[in-house]
Amino acid sequence: MANTVLELKNVSKTFGKRKVIDDISLEVKEGEIYGFLGPNGSGKTTTIKMILKLIESDSGEIKVNGYDTKKQFEKAMECIGAIVENPDMYKYMSAIDNLKLHARIRNIGEDRIQEVIELVGLKERAKDKVGKYSLGMKQRLGLALTLLHKPKVLILDEPTNGLDPAGIKQLRDILKNISHKSGVAVFVSSHILSEMQLMCDRVAVIDNGKIVKVEDITHSEEDIIEKIELRVNDTQKAINILKEKFGIKPKLEENNVEITIKTEEIPKVVKELVIADIAIKAVIPKEHTLEEIFFDATEGGKKDE
Amino acid sequence: MSKIWKLFIDENIKTWKKLSTKILLIVILISLVGILGLVKIIQKTNNSYEINSSGYDWRQETESQIGYIEESLENPQIDEESKNMMEQELQTLKLSLKYDINPYENIWKNEIIRKIVDLQFEENIKEAEIADLTKKLEDNDFNGYIQMQKQELKQELDDKLISQVEYDDKIMILELKEKYEVGKTADTPFWKTAAITNIENAQNSNRTNMDENNKVLTAEKKQENEDSIKMNIYRLEHNMPQIEYSENYRTIFEYLSSTFVISAIAITAIVIAGGMISTEVSTGTIKFWALTPNKRWKILTAKILSLLFYIIIITVIASLISVILANVFFAETGEPYIYVENGEVQTIGNTLYTVLTYLAKMIPVIIFALFALMLSVITRNTAVSVSFSVAIYMGNSIFMAILNRFITKDWIRFVPFNNLNISEKIFENATNLMAINAGSFATSTSLGFSLGVLGVCAILMLVTMYDSFNKRDII
Repeated sequence: MANTVLELKNVSKTFGKRKVIDDISLEVKEGEIYGFLGPNGSGKTTTIKMILKLIESDSGEIKVNGYDTKKQFEKAMECIGAIVENPDMYKYMSAIDNLKLHARIRNIGEDRIQEVIELVGLKERAKDKVGKYSLGMKQRLGLALTLLHKPKVLILDEPTNGLDPAGIKQLRDILKNISHKSGVAVFVSSHILSEMQLMCDRVAVIDNGKIVKVEDITHSEEDIIEKIELRVNDTQKAINILKEKFGIKPKLEENNVEITIKTEEIPKVVKELVIADIAIKAVIPKEHTLEEIFFDATEGGKKDE
Repeated sequence: MSKIWKLFIDENIKTWKKLSTKILLIVILISLVGILGLVKIIQKTNNSYEINSSGYDWRQETESQIGYIEESLENPQIDEESKNMMEQELQTLKLSLKYDINPYENIWKNEIIRKIVDLQFEENIKEAEIADLTKKLEDNDFNGYIQMQKQELKQELDDKLISQVEYDDKIMILELKEKYEVGKTADTPFWKTAAITNIENAQNSNRTNMDENNKVLTAEKKQENEDSIKMNIYRLEHNMPQIEYSENYRTIFEYLSSTFVISAIAITAIVIAGGMISTEVSTGTIKFWALTPNKRWKILTAKILSLLFYIIIITVIASLISVILANVFFAETGEPYIYVENGEVQTIGNTLYTVLTYLAKMIPVIIFALFALMLSVITRNTAVSVSFSVAIYMGNSIFMAILNRFITKDWIRFVPFNNLNISEKIFENATNLMAINAGSFATSTSLGFSLGVLGVCAILMLVTMYDSFNKRDII
């Protein structure tokens, strides 16, 4: 069993009269990518800032690699690499110079700087001033800064902001690599659901300062459950067939049939419908299941229903 | 400790990579060169003026004066007493012309002539004495003149007209005049005469136990007089002119440049300090540091240290540039600082002295910078921190000048702004071209007191900023 490297126990925080974080507890294990999902203003960033002691928690206990962040702050911080909100660097300095500032504090050599620059793919632009970087490049440099000292826990607040699809994929690959191969625990917050599903091993959903759900996510192609919209000429007939053959409960929405089913089952569904002489106009993948988790769990979901 | 050191190094790298830092250095350099040019222009204009005025001829002036007196004497209406005085004057001028001595110059020969004339107009004319004096004139016998005065003093002592102490003092003055030829020729530099006068004044003051305002001397003032005598003798001995008494363009340059450079550094320091935390909070880069394994107080300490280091380095560089420019472009050598310690006269060379003065003048600047930093930590607003601090820095002297006039209570000396003149208190013997500031309540406090007041201020500000920086959330 992998060790728990990040642990929150009954953490609460009040701003004025508003309870922003209400009794949160969670555990992140070695080699795990842990998603922290919630709508804007749900308390994701506040939680992350409390872990990093940018904000003092009112009550509860936060441990990083076994060190209490209140009592052994410096030891705890040695195990953490983090980006909060935006990657913050000095714009008038080059990427290398920014990295060197951190490297000096953490006693890290020149080799490692080159290594992380290569890892995030900034080698060619490393000597340019950060002010000239695109947001995506800044994100990658931010990641390089956090990886510099080989942290045990990597905390990323909305890391895909400003990245293009290729950049997102690259980030995903880097994170999966360091997490699954080097055993780093990655704690990622986001409100982009599809990203989380592709990236995370486990997702906690937070709403209004409370963790409402923790879900394991499986990655193998076959296991992924998708929501599909079927546009057919005879909806009632199609619903009956689907109920009969696959034992699922299709929903009828705006004259279309909506089903939730494993990816590998989709061809079979199509085949059955065709055999039954139903004309299929379109098979449209809908929102991922994570959104369902999300909307099931949060208020946003309740309103929609 | 090593962590603070590393943060400190990082902070410095950050500061020096900034463009604004380099710009400041260039601005200081250009300004110094500009001030140098200005002083050189003043020097040139004044020199050409002196050449024009040297056409003045004292002989012509004397002759016309003689003519005028002779004319006046023919007037039958003048009384006997005036006539006598005029005749004496006439005789003096004639003797001056005869021995080719400018009667308007302060040299010993004029004194001899006056004596001769006095003797000539006495009832029993002492021919022998007149002959003796005339011989001294003809032989250009300055030492003889001094000896004569010594003998006169001895006579006065024997006749109990003067005390032994007064006799010793006056003999000392005569010996100094003899040794350093003060008043021997018209070329005697004014500072030498001034030094002799200063010594005489200090001696008189200590002998009579009264100061210039007829107040009884304090022990402190007495010591000051003694030190002043020692320093003036030292100046004569080592041929070190006191700048106050000589027209010295180098000093003018030094004053102008130090005034400018110190204000420039002060305002820059305030701008840097005022943005040190607030700018980093607003750009988010404060997290760059807060996410390193360093407690907040270490981060703030490194920032404060780097601020001090920056101020000191810029100051030293600027003062050295100023010294180098002065050495290269002015013929005069730099004035060293002279002071008395344990009864011994000590000197500090000009270069070191300049650097030290600049640094001493930075002590109040550091206080203002800390104030700006404190505002920066508390308000997290660069504009407020900087503008408020600069306003106080610029306005405090006028504000306090007015306040000091109307508040005569003792507590006014505890006001920090009354204790900013640290440099004047450290280098109390320094030539002060800007002595206008002197004489206020503020100058009456001691160096230790002023440092104490500023120290308490600094500690209060530090406690406030550490407390705020440690406790407040970084949002």
